[in-house]
Amino acid sequence: MLSKSLAIQVLNKLLETGADYSEIFLEYSESHSLTIDNGKVDASNNAITSGVGLRILKNNQTVYGFTSDITKKGLMSLAESLNKSFNDKQSLTVTNLEKIKCKNRNVIKRSYNDVPLQEKIDLLKEGIRAIETNKDPRIVRHIAMFGNNSRHVEVFNSKGKHFSRDTEFARMIFQVVAANEKGMEIGFEGPGCQSDISYFHTVVNPVDTAKKAVRTALLMLDAKECPSGKMPVVIGNGWGGVLFHEACGHPLEASAVSRNLSYASGKEGELIASPIVTAIDDSTIPNEWGSIDIDDEGNLGEKRVLIKDGKLVNFMIDDFNGRRMKRNGNGSCRRQNYKYCPTSRMSNTYIANGKSTPEEIIKSTKLGLYTVGFNGGSVDPTTGEFNFGCSEAYIIRDGKIAEPVKGATLIGKGEEILKKIDMIANDLAFGQGMCGAASGSIRTNVGQPTLRISEILVGGRGGELK
Amino acid sequence: MKYDKFFLLAKEKGISEAEISICSGSSLSFSLFHGEIDNFESSNSSSYLLRGIYNGKMGSVVSDIYSNSLVEQFVNTIIESAKTIENNDEVFIYKGDKKYKRINVYNKQLESISIEKKINDLHLLEDKIKKTDSRISEVESVSYGEDSSSFVLMNSHGLKLHTKSNSFYFYGGAVAKKDKQVKTGGDVFFDNDYSKFNIDDFAKNIVNEAVSQLDGEPCESGQYKAVLDREVVSSLTKAYISSAIAESVQKKSSLFIGKLGEKIASKHVNISDNPLKSSLFARSFDDEGVATKNTEIIKNGILKTYLYNLTTAKKDGVNSTGHGTVNGSKVGTTTWFLEMKPGKKSLDELFNIIGDGVYITSVQGLHAGLNAMSGNFSLQANGFLIKNGKKVRSLDIITISGNLIDVFKDITYVGNDSKIFSRGIKVPSVVIKKIVVSGK
Repeated sequence: MLSKSLAIQVLNKLLETGADYSEIFLEYSESHSLTIDNGKVDASNNAITSGVGLRILKNNQTVYGFTSDITKKGLMSLAESLNKSFNDKQSLTVTNLEKIKCKNRNVIKRSYNDVPLQEKIDLLKEGIRAIETNKDPRIVRHIAMFGNNSRHVEVFNSKGKHFSRDTEFARMIFQVVAANEKGMEIGFEGPGCQSDISYFHTVVNPVDTAKKAVRTALLMLDAKECPSGKMPVVIGNGWGGVLFHEACGHPLEASAVSRNLSYASGKEGELIASPIVTAIDDSTIPNEWGSIDIDDEGNLGEKRVLIKDGKLVNFMIDDFNGRRMKRNGNGSCRRQNYKYCPTSRMSNTYIANGKSTPEEIIKSTKLGLYTVGFNGGSVDPTTGEFNFGCSEAYIIRDGKIAEPVKGATLIGKGEEILKKIDMIANDLAFGQGMCGAASGSIRTNVGQPTLRISEILVGGRGGELK
Repeated sequence: MKYDKFFLLAKEKGISEAEISICSGSSLSFSLFHGEIDNFESSNSSSYLLRGIYNGKMGSVVSDIYSNSLVEQFVNTIIESAKTIENNDEVFIYKGDKKYKRINVYNKQLESISIEKKINDLHLLEDKIKKTDSRISEVESVSYGEDSSSFVLMNSHGLKLHTKSNSFYFYGGAVAKKDKQVKTGGDVFFDNDYSKFNIDDFAKNIVNEAVSQLDGEPCESGQYKAVLDREVVSSLTKAYISSAIAESVQKKSSLFIGKLGEKIASKHVNISDNPLKSSLFARSFDDEGVATKNTEIIKNGILKTYLYNLTTAKKDGVNSTGHGTVNGSKVGTTTWFLEMKPGKKSLDELFNIIGDGVYITSVQGLHAGLNAMSGNFSLQANGFLIKNGKKVRSLDIITISGNLIDVFKDITYVGNDSKIFSRGIKVPSVVIKKIVVSGK
């Protein structure tokens, strides 16, 4: 897309006023999304994202700019306007660019660009038939969506690195609205992958996905309000990992750690979680939602053990924030698209398997909450205060799963909650989500086995837990 | 004309009506950390949205780039996407209204203020945050940003509309520490009139937000009388009014089904959408090209109208209310500038009214803890305990839970402290009869 010689010219133009690093991020993406509302195709949207982001660094300063004008004139004029931020002499010159080769772990056998629209419609309609057959009269609306994205990225930087990265990913969503005289509830399922469309017939399938959404909506419709107060909470596997994502993942990103703005800053080697907790951010798992082979600075994807037996051992680091930490980037530099300056982000982040079984954990809990469906959450990395909302939850009574409850939100402080994890099961699973932060909305996997927190504050309208 | 090729080819290939909307903008932002500019960003970009009606169905394509060589691909994509549409809703490329109100939301003066002045003001802001209170341990970040954008809509009926706007913002975030407690506070100021920005007031606000939360502890779990700060009211109102979107009502997934003309909220609740009032969010036409108007949505607690675009209006046999928003083949519905009518009481008077209760100043995790469709929410919150009409201490780690319908029915007083928020809404603080709080 961009010749090597022009890339070198632009990199040097960026370095002209004394920057110590320059980078070109070129992107061309095509995306398509399809919506079927109450059984009829309602929207079919195509979008092209195309442009370039230029970044220069000098010590702890970043200058970033982007444009959709990718002509030589457009690139050079943006480079010139950006380099005005510095006024030193050029100290670095790029003379050659080496193409970096990296393993492609996320092989797509059949590109989404070759999948006819009708095939995607047929896929969703399989799920819709499952909802419509013997449809419960309380279901008032259902929406099915399929979205896919093919993204070509090419990066050149003043370290002499040049690489390109092609990714394709897709997501299938079923949302079901159920209503009765008491109110309205929603069931939502949205599996995603970096694989071809066969994933949605094999690893997951539209019928089960749609039925799961129906089940949640109907179950929550009749559920009682969740009790409130501090209580033991068993968090189900997969999407339950959003707890770790918020409570600990964000505070371990170099963007917060390097500025002393995370509760984990300066705590490397210290016990920050219960000794049974080992947590990992791994961007090398083939075809997983959050995997990347190479990051936006040309560092290869890694399996980063963040917490080992409760001790803090590593962070998600990009080269730029790594400067303040005197550490090199470890393959965590990501961005939504060329319109965002990149920074340290998570990939597939999870708590590793423990020794218990899910059954043992439930059985050993006398009175508490069991949460299995989640809406997402948020965190303030500085205070560690986080929240996450539950879409499906049950009361545990005498070691057994009892009545369903709705409207539960869990809140706490990351460093306190991590120490209260007292049982971890062996049923690790992932859930696919979109994570929003400074460099935009990116694909991240959350994950964990079933685990128990001995005490956490639950918000709900159901009064005291009895 | 630059876009003639698109309209000609579209017509040739059987697209009966076609439209292009172009959104172009430039932006500039920078931030300071420890007295140094640590981030400087600038950009120039455009986005093209092309729509067309093919055999009665709407197809679309969105692109960051446009050139004559891409036109054929665009036209083919529009036809492809239109062919897949199955619903029979009538779709429109609008011929236009007779009159559009002239609105100016571009302040030329902003361009004339030098970058040096803005950088200098940012240094002053960082300094003031740091020095106002000894408990401020760190200025998390201070940043300045500005952007200007233009929106052009043109279609095969010859309609051509244009609007241009600009704005700037300052952000500041502070960390307060006392013993082992850490609290953060932050605020955003935005406008397009630079002279309205007062560094001292803004810095004080940020510091106060962080420091005032120190020494907090949870309150007992239970039901409390409450003052909801305008910030909380803005979040809840946005979610509440989404139920007035006609499509949700037509598809039976709204809290306002069958409530037109009925009392849905307390008599103190008056909410309108005012795109023609002078504000940063003013708009004289919606994304479909329909002239906007100021619309009373809830008057004295009674639901006066649903919010329509051309397609949903046709279904109900009414006129569009000018709330159409287009980002693909399907037209959505949005609000432009929501306002809740303020009352006469000051915030302190509201505290006096409740006597004993809680003052909720902010809520977090709205995307996870609030379901606009069911109205249920359970949210991490910050605030203060109120005793005898006075703030006695801050509340640490609590949640508030309720249902939007109940909250708006339970409003007994409306404050006089209206503030504009960046999500396009202006609301005051309110008193509500009860809220469930989880704490100790």
